[in-house]
This record gives sequence, structure tokens and C-alpha cells, in this order.
Amino acid sequence: MSPVLQIGPLALPTYPISLLVAFWAGLALSARVARHLGVDGDHIWNAGLYGLLATIIVGRLAHGIEFWPAYIMQPLDIVGLNAQAFLWGPGALAGLLVAAWYIHRHKLPWATVLDAAAPGVLAGLIIANLGALLVGNDVGTPATLLWAVEIWGVSRHPVQLYAALGELIALAVVLHALCKPSRPGTAALLGLVGWGLTTWLVEPFRAESSAVVTGIRLWQVIGLAAALAALWVLRRRAVAADPPRVVEPSS
Amino acid sequence: MTRRTWNLAIGIVLVVGVVWLWAGRIPAAEPAAGGSGLPPAPALGHPAPDIKLTTVTGETFALSSLRGKPVVLNFWATWCPPCRAELPELQAASQRYTGQLDIIGVNQAEPAEGVAAFAQQFGLTFPIPLDTNADTSRRYAVRSLPTTFFIDRNGIIRQIQSGPLTEATLAQALKKIFP
Repeated sequence: MSPVLQIGPLALPTYPISLLVAFWAGLALSARVARHLGVDGDHIWNAGLYGLLATIIVGRLAHGIEFWPAYIMQPLDIVGLNAQAFLWGPGALAGLLVAAWYIHRHKLPWATVLDAAAPGVLAGLIIANLGALLVGNDVGTPATLLWAVEIWGVSRHPVQLYAALGELIALAVVLHALCKPSRPGTAALLGLVGWGLTTWLVEPFRAESSAVVTGIRLWQVIGLAAALAALWVLRRRAVAADPPRVVEPSS
Repeated sequence: MTRRTWNLAIGIVLVVGVVWLWAGRIPAAEPAAGGSGLPPAPALGHPAPDIKLTTVTGETFALSSLRGKPVVLNFWATWCPPCRAELPELQAASQRYTGQLDIIGVNQAEPAEGVAAFAQQFGLTFPIPLDTNADTSRRYAVRSLPTTFFIDRNGIIRQIQSGPLTEATLAQALKKIFP
């Protein structure tokens, strides 16, 4: 494991750096694909960066609301540089809403923008998973397999690698779909199917999961629901484009 | 693909999906947050490695003796400005949660006299074990100061924070070990 990149006297934390690289690489790829699809790539950069800004601001404000008695004692902490003082759930939601608002405000074609975003999101997830493997975050369940990795004296499923592999396959499918003429939105739906199935398949190998009921894993349910919903939309589009043949009654 | 093929594909994903959901349930005997049967290590979900050191007041300190109560294990040094900034928070918390929570400040590789004078100046009353040769810091993989481990009443590490604590981040981390 390499939780710290040591460059001379400088010790850089690997995981936050991998997340930054994931964000940058994801946006760069999405912007490039957007240009290929006829959308100005700068719009993708803008939507992503406004979204990031909203994530940070709302994440900190949500932390302030959740732990307001502490902030009343030290109000300047609300603008402090402490990287731990964020609630990422509300922050991410705000980030998505702001990015959506940007796309709506600039009248960008939704389906095309989502097609462009799909490979970027998948590439970002792959890099983030590899970063998690490097530092030993989000570890897998104990395993005695040949390819198990040892983390703190325990051989475990390299679950981060499984997830990265599934997302890599999904990325290949999405890029293949983008190379062929297809209806706008198809690549994004295929990306959602790939991500959903990967999450559904891999989640039971994670050592720590949130449960919904009777031990069923929350992210597995979300993954399966996302994959089924995307498949259903793909089916409807395919069936609408290719209506069933009507057999004329013979006279 | 025809409508029939689509329906079949979606049906197969649904059935196999539900079967895998059921098969992949979190085993009832195994707590969702892990910890059982793992070796002691400075990692989330593992039992905290035991510490046996002498405190700045000359008493013997053993981390294992605190089992049954949540513990905040902080690594610090007097020369470290962020450590100095967070010590008042830790002192206030140690007073606020007296008897319910133990706050331990492991000093990294400094002479006892200097640490004692510093503790007196800052009014620190929680135990300060002296990690004289930094062996404990190495065993806990402490790469920067301050680093704080939040250990639950069963001795399992639930949160690790590198960098200074504020009152808010301390409150947030305590929620994981102190219901």
C-alpha cells in the first residue's frame, strides 16, 4: 500500500490526489467526447467546475448545520481549510443540481451531454478505484484466492480492482457505441447499465456495506435498479424504432 | 433485437439480480462494520494495536486497560502548530465526557520535562504517554502530526484523522464511537 507519495521532503496523500486526477481526467475525456459530438467542450468544463464549487460550498454548509453548536463556538471554522469538515452527500447532490442548471440555462442538448459525460464518469471511477486500492480504502472481504491482496495482515478480495475492471468494460462498450451512429442518449444508458451491473456484482465482496433490510446491501439494490431502468428505456427506444409488423388479413 | 428478446433479457437480469442480492446479503453473524477476527492494525475495522508506555507523570499506561469505553488516541508533539491548535479542543472534550470517554495524547519522541512543562502551560489533564523512541508511532503508521484514532468500546478503530481536529470534526468523529 502507498498512502503517501514521498517526493523528496514532500509527502503527498495518494488518495486525495487520485480523486483530483480522476475528476480532471473525467472532465477532460468528457469535454473531448462532447466536441466530437458537436457540443462545445468548454461547457463541459464549466458545468463540472461549477458543480465542484457547489459541492464544496454546500458540503461545508451542511456540515455547519449538522454540527452548528460547534460552529457557534468557533464561527470562523466555517471557512477553514479542514478537509474533513464536509458532508459529501448533500454536497454531491448540490453539485449535480448546479451542473444540471448550467446545462439547462445554456440550452445544451441533454442526451448528447449525458453521452459525453458517460465515458468521463466511468474513467473517473476507474482512477478513483485504483487510488483506493493503492491506499487500502474500501477493502474487500477476506479471501484465500491466488489474486487476493494482503492489507494489514489479512488476504482480501481486490474489490477495488474488480470494480475498476467492470467499469473498464463499461467504458469500452460506451466508447464503441459512441463510434457508431446511434440515437442520442444511447451511450449514456449503456454506461448506466455497465455501472449498475458492476456495482450489483461487486458489492458483496466489499468488507463494509450499508444494509437496507435483512442484510441486503444498499448499493447492490441501487446498481440493479439503475441497470434495469436503463435497460427498460433502451428497450422502449428500440421497440419504438422498430414497431412490430402488422399481418394484413388475407381477403 | 425484437421486443421478445428485450423482455427476455430484462427478465433474466431481474431474476439473476434478485438471486445475487439475496446471496450477497451481509451475514447476520458478522457485523456490517467488520472487526471480528481481524489482526490488530492501525486500520479501519481492525482492533487497535495495544500500547504500553510510561506517561509524563510517571505512571504505566496500557491501551488495553481502557477496553469497554470509547477512546480518542491522539499523536502529537509540542513543536507541531496544528497539534497545539487542537489540544484545547481535546482538553475540553476530556472534561465534557469525563467517565464516558478516554482521551489519550501520545507525545512523539520528546523529553519528559519539556512535555510536562507544556502540559502544565496548556492545562492538559488527560493522560500523556511518552512515545520516547517513536516505536508506537511507527506501529500506528503515523506519517504526519497530528493524527487521531477513534476507537470504539470494543477496541475497534472506527475513524482515523490526519490533520488537526476542530470542535465540529471532533463532534462528527465522536458520533462513530460514542452513540
